[in-house]
Amino acid sequence: MAVKEVLIYPDSRLKENCAPIIDFDASAQQLLHDLVDTMVAAGHSVGIAAPQIGELRRAAVVDVSNSKLGKKQENHGLLQMVNPEIIETEGSQIVREGCMSVPDYTGNVTRSESIVVQFTDQNQQLQVIRTAGFEAVAIQHELDHLSGLLFLDRVSSLKTDLFRRKQK
Amino acid sequence: MQHFALTIIGRDRPGIVSQVTEILFQGGFNIADSSCSILGGQFSMILIISNPAIATKEEFSDTFKPLEESNLSVYIRTLKPGGEIRTELEGDLCIISVYGADKPGIVYQVAKELGDRHINITDLNTKLIGGQQNPVYVMMLEAMLPADTEIETVENWMAELKQKLQVDISVRSLAVMEL
Repeated sequence: MAVKEVLIYPDSRLKENCAPIIDFDASAQQLLHDLVDTMVAAGHSVGIAAPQIGELRRAAVVDVSNSKLGKKQENHGLLQMVNPEIIETEGSQIVREGCMSVPDYTGNVTRSESIVVQFTDQNQQLQVIRTAGFEAVAIQHELDHLSGLLFLDRVSSLKTDLFRRKQK
Repeated sequence: MQHFALTIIGRDRPGIVSQVTEILFQGGFNIADSSCSILGGQFSMILIISNPAIATKEEFSDTFKPLEESNLSVYIRTLKPGGEIRTELEGDLCIISVYGADKPGIVYQVAKELGDRHINITDLNTKLIGGQQNPVYVMMLEAMLPADTEIETVENWMAELKQKLQVDISVRSLAVMEL
């Protein structure tokens, strides 16, 4: 077990663009282990990205199968993703997100309803999966971390925005 | 540290926020929490502020005189100790949308259904839309449902109210995704 400390903003590492993992070596394997261990240890967490534990490399893990929301929907269980990339998106949904690295704040974020994501898994196999709903949101959130984006960069509407837009 | 609630309201125009926050900044105040919006033609600001050097409102209320002179109303409330700390609310958020032909009591009757059952309204916005001929009242609220209250139960309460008030009401859970 290697549970790492989850970095909290304003740690500047959370705003870095992470580097692709070119060699899938033991250290990349270790990184995936650490991510899974840290995600599990965080209890409520359904995903974590490498920069959140101070590793500026493109890796993230997601597992919505244990969360109250996620288990109601179809999901892929534990996803360990190296160099993940969203290659297709469809639709949009507004969700209220919170983040372990930005405690005590939630905001409404517009995310794609369904996505196709491509990544190398823990067995170094290239995977392409289609997913929707909560799992799709979790993946989009974690992938943003790899580009130095926090959900704060994506907040799409203040609570009263609905009314404000109605005004002429 | 002593915290104060500061409420400022006045005819909307550009520059109100900068005028207010300049005074706060120059006076060494922290803005701990705030919400500001246009209501009708009025810009309204509600802020929780503190200043390590200030313990009573008498020490600083005069600094807002320039605001009063520019037609803004200023009200300062001294918070009780701990009054700046948000109460930890347990439960699931739900959003209730209510809309229909304008009539008296829409807000009250919906709020009463929730208040009587000790359900906390965490956010509430209302607006009168539509033309003068057919005014439509729109209300959106967020409420925190305690663990023993299912969303279906709220839907049932609202279904009865919908009949009674002859308005449209929808209830949905607001998923907060902790990631």
